[in-house]
Amino acid sequence: MTTAINNSEPKLLPGDLAIWFFIFMELLVFGIFFIVYAVMRIDNIELFNQYQLTLNRELGAANTILLITSSYFVVRAVHAIRDNNVKNCINWLGAALLGGTGFLILKSIEYSDKFSEGISLSTNTFYMFYLSLTIFHFLHVILGMLILIAVIIKAKHGAYSADNHIGVETGASYWHMVDLVWIILFPLVYIIR
Amino acid sequence: MKNLYNIHAIWLLMIALTMTTYAMGKLGATGVIVVLFLLLTAIIKGGLIIRDFMELRGVSLLWRVIMYGWLWGVCIAIAIAYIISI
Repeated sequence: MTTAINNSEPKLLPGDLAIWFFIFMELLVFGIFFIVYAVMRIDNIELFNQYQLTLNRELGAANTILLITSSYFVVRAVHAIRDNNVKNCINWLGAALLGGTGFLILKSIEYSDKFSEGISLSTNTFYMFYLSLTIFHFLHVILGMLILIAVIIKAKHGAYSADNHIGVETGASYWHMVDLVWIILFPLVYIIR
Repeated sequence: MKNLYNIHAIWLLMIALTMTTYAMGKLGATGVIVVLFLLLTAIIKGGLIIRDFMELRGVSLLWRVIMYGWLWGVCIAIAIAYIISI
C-alpha cells in the first residue's frame, strides 16, 4: 500500500497538463471573488459582522471536514491505482463521492433554512456575497463529482492501471482544487470578523 | 519522524486545524492576532493540500510559485483588508 509521502523526483505535474491551466483559471476567479468580498466588507463592517452570525458555523465546519476527508479518499484512490489495485481505486473514489454528496446535502439544508427566511441575493451585500460565493463553489463541487463519476466509469471499464492512470490524477487534481478553495472560503465567510 | 509524515497524519492535522478554526468562531474571538491566526491556519491547510494531496512537491518552480503564490497572495490581501478595518 502506497501511503508514504513520495520524496523521489518524477516530477511532472500529476494528471493532464490542461487540467492545471483550468485549475489556475478557476483559482484566479475565486481569488478575485475572495478579495472583493474582503474589500467590500471594509465599508460594511457592521453589516457583515451582524449577518455573519446568522450563518450555521456547525454546518460550515462539518462541510469542511467532509471535503478534506473526501480529498483524502481521492489521494487513497490515486495511491491504489499506482499499486495497480483498480478495485480499491474505484472504492476510494466512491467514498470520495459520498463525501461530496454529504457536502451537497448539508449545503442544501443551509440554503433551505436561508431561503425559507426569505433571504435572497438582494437581501443585503453580505448575503449577496455569501450566496453567490457558496453557490458558485457548490456548482464546482457538482462538476468535481461528475468528473469523479466519469473516472469511476472508465476505471470499471479497465481504462486505468499502474502504468496508465493520468485520468485518475486529473480528476483528483480538480477535486483537490475544490477542497482548496473551500479551505479559504470557510474561515473568510463563516468565521473571521 | 519521517514515518509519521504521511497522508493519514496530514488528513488528521487538517481536521484538527478545522476544529480549531471552528472553535475560534464559536468563541467569538476577534482582533488582529485572531485574523492572522485564522488566515495562517488556512495557509497551512492549503499548503498541505497543494504539496501533499495535489503532489506539487518537486514539480517545476513555476507551478509551485503559481499555486503557493495564489494561496499566500489571496490570504495576505484578505489580511490587509481586515486589519485596516479593525
